[in-house]
Formats: sequence, C-alpha cells, structure tokens
Amino acid sequence: MIDLGAPYIQRALVEMLLLAVPAGLLGSWIVLRRLAFFAHAVGTVSFPGLVLASAWGIAPQFAALAAALGFGVAQERLQRAYRLGADAATGLLLVGALAAGVVLASDVYESGSEVDTLLFGSLIGLSESDVWVTAVVAAAAVALDAGLGRHWLGTGFDPGGARALGLRPVAADRLLLAAIAVTAVVALDAVGALLVTVLLVVPAATARLLTERLARVRLAAVGLAAGEGVAAVWLADWLNVGAGPALAVIGGVVFAVAACATALRARAVPA
Amino acid sequence: MIGGLAVRDLAGGYAPGRDALRDVTFAAGPGEIVGVLGPNGGGKTTLLRALLGELPVRRGEVELPGRPAYVPQTERARLDFPVSAFDVALMGAYARTPWFRRVARRDRDAARAALARVGLADEERTSFGALSGGQRQRVLIARALLQDAPALLLDEPLSGVDGVSAARIEALFAELRAEGRTLLVATHDVRQASEWDRVLCLHGRQIDYGRPAAVLSPETLRETYGAELIVLEGGGRAVGVGHHGHAH
Repeated sequence: MIDLGAPYIQRALVEMLLLAVPAGLLGSWIVLRRLAFFAHAVGTVSFPGLVLASAWGIAPQFAALAAALGFGVAQERLQRAYRLGADAATGLLLVGALAAGVVLASDVYESGSEVDTLLFGSLIGLSESDVWVTAVVAAAAVALDAGLGRHWLGTGFDPGGARALGLRPVAADRLLLAAIAVTAVVALDAVGALLVTVLLVVPAATARLLTERLARVRLAAVGLAAGEGVAAVWLADWLNVGAGPALAVIGGVVFAVAACATALRARAVPA
Repeated sequence: MIGGLAVRDLAGGYAPGRDALRDVTFAAGPGEIVGVLGPNGGGKTTLLRALLGELPVRRGEVELPGRPAYVPQTERARLDFPVSAFDVALMGAYARTPWFRRVARRDRDAARAALARVGLADEERTSFGALSGGQRQRVLIARALLQDAPALLLDEPLSGVDGVSAARIEALFAELRAEGRTLLVATHDVRQASEWDRVLCLHGRQIDYGRPAAVLSPETLRETYGAELIVLEGGGRAVGVGHHGHAH
C-alpha cells in the first residue's frame, strides 16, 4: 500500500500533477503539430549531458537544458547547411547523443546503476526545488499557451495562410519548440531521458482520440496526464520501478482502451 | 471600402539566382476582379505569395491598400485538426485581437454572420475536415470575409468544388466587387476568367494583362499554357482550356 505520508511520495504526486499542466497543454500542440519525434529527441539528447552532470556534480537541469539548446542549434544548422529534412536531422542527432551517452556512462565514468535513473527516472530523487521549478514551468506554459495558442493553431492549421492572418509563425514556432524543450528537461527527473514522450505525447494522443474539439482535447490531455501520473506514482512505488516505465505502461493501456472504444463507437454509428 | 492594388516590374523567387516569377506589372482598381491564369508552376500561387510578403522579391514594387486576406487551396489546410467551421472562420479576427484577450463577442458574431453569408450557418459546429471540398472552400472564404480586407487573394477557389458551392462563391464575388473590394483570383478556368474585369496571364513571367476580350486570344493562351492547352475555337475566341476545369 502506498504511504501517502512519506515526503518522497508527496513530492512525487505534486510533481506529477504539476507536470500534467505543461504536458497536457503543450502535448496537445505536439500531437497536432506532429512534433512527437522532436519531443522524444529533445529528451534523449540530454542523456550524455546528464551523465556528465552526474560525474562532475553539476545541476542536471542545466546540463540537460544546454544539451537541448545545442540540439536545437545543431538541428537547424544540419537542415540549412546540408538540406536535410527535420526528421533526418533529428534522427542523426538522437542516435549520436544516445551513443555518446552510453559510451560516457559505461566506459568513461562507469556510472553503473545511475544510468537507469537517468534513462527512466526516479521518484526518490525528486527534491523540493525540483517541484518548485516544475511549478514555475507549469505557470509559464499556461501563460505561453494563452498568449500564443492562436498563433500555434493558425500556423498549424494553415501554414501558408498564417502571415495573412496577422500571425507570426516563425517566432511563435520557435517559442513552442523552446517550451517543449524546457518541459522535457524538467520532466527528466521524474520520467527519465528516454521516456519523456510518455508524458508529453501519450496523454494528448489519447485525448485526440476522444474528441473533435480543440478545447476538450487540451482539457482531456491535462486530465489524463494528471490521472496517469498519479497512478504511475502508485504503481512505481508498489513495484519499486522507475516512474517513467510505470507511466509508460499505464499510458499505453489507457491509449489502447481509448482506441478500442473509439473503433467500437465508429462501428456502432454508421457513417 | 476602397481596394485597388498595383505591381510594378516584380521579380522574385526562393532559389538563389533564379526568379520563379518576373516582369509582372499590373494595376487593379477598387471593385475589380482579376483572373490570374497560367499552367501549373506558371507563377499564380507565387504571385499571391509575393503580394502577401512571403516571396523574396528581388526587383519591383507592390502597393497594397492594407493587409490582404488570403484564401488558400483547401488541400493546403490540415483536415485532421480538431477545429469546427466556426473556429476556422474566427481565425479572420486574430490580427485585431490582442494576445492577452479572447476574441471579442462582436467578432464571434461576425464569424457567424460570415458563415451565414457563404451559406453555412447550419454547419457552424461541424468539423472542418468533415465538410465537403466546396464547403471547406466557403469556410476559408468566410475567414477572409471576417478580415474585412480591401483586397482578397484567392488561390483556385473554384477548382474541384461542387456546383452549389461554385454558384455561392461566384455570387459572393459579385457582392464583394460591389463593395469596392479588389479580388485577385488564381484559376485554370478561362471561361470563368473571361467574365471578370481583367485577366493576368502568367508563365514564369507576365504574358499579358488587360480586359478579357483583349487578352484571351488563342495566341496569348498558347503562349501562357504551351503544351497544356486545348483551345476550342468559337467565333475567333478561346473558350476553353483542357486542364483542371471545375465541376459543375
């Protein structure tokens, strides 16, 4: 039985509930704007940075943020200089970062069991300051979404017509990518570098199955991220596993149930 | 409402050192409909993008009476977005809505009125992706109406639309012309363009511009369309092009 009085459980629950806000709001844009691969990559590329931060005693958030920013710059340069598509550039950097992280962790610093924590997250390692940082990011995500949601919607729906609508597609999209990167970085402690998409993509993808209204997609994504996050804390504590894998299992099951329900509903209602 | 736009010696393109479009010079007054004719890749969409400020312009000048409204080809819009016809129409009010405010009630009412004007009042809550091609085109026109722009740039608004939608759109063009707005309409339909005020023929450059009766000769159309052209001769006038006609 989960010990709700334990400070690490309380911190983990608050962390998951706070993470649900940016994960649901930005996750909706990630799914609608087809940025899931970017979101996955921006988490994974932080792995070598986290290994170095652990070995050198640097705050992991700084190392992960530096890695994410480096990833963004390198991706843009690869696309411009070598005419690579965004997917190809992302794939190249992702593989390179993962390989560098494995070499650093296994051969250079012999990080051992710490690697599991970096890749898949840990509830025990969450500190009070982690929770405060997540609260700030959640508030920033709400503000950004309120201010730029129309730009993200208009640009995503009709990229060619966005400027004519008075929108600023390039600047707004850069801020969206930066917001995703920052959210991925703050989620690393809880869910790990490899499983950031479990939080940023799966709840929003599930919500998208359930409704055709944008406002409902976003609300449902936040609700699902919160519910799945709380359930993941319970499962992770019960099975003594990382929160990332627990969240992945729960998110996957919920998505599968939603997909089956949607298919059955579509079959029951003839077109 | 005063429209009118002028383009002088325009040339530009995306690839370095190569113009996608050049030597374009024309002026359209308020209340005029200009049909922009040309083959695929001839520069119709490129011209519209230049007028929107999205094409790197190397030479020439563009004079517009304000920010023009743009109606893209429907297939350029994402059909899988969870937006209703009303949501899409409302995008026309984004430019005048401060980032920290909701879209104003009067603009929400105006979006409903714009949908009613294009004959889609009953489809307000329908998902954009669930509408027919012609209905989607009308929703995008409703979005442009909400922008209340003096000039409208429309990219093949009548291609592939159903007869009801085509009739609605053509009637709306007449209303907008009467309001003094300038319409620049890219089209493949020569017959239709012949009924408008001016015709601009493009094939990487400007072939001709002027009144339809003066411009739409078989020679000009051959130069505009090259091998893509099938001209049906009737009383010395070109009356049809065998390419992308719209469905009636």
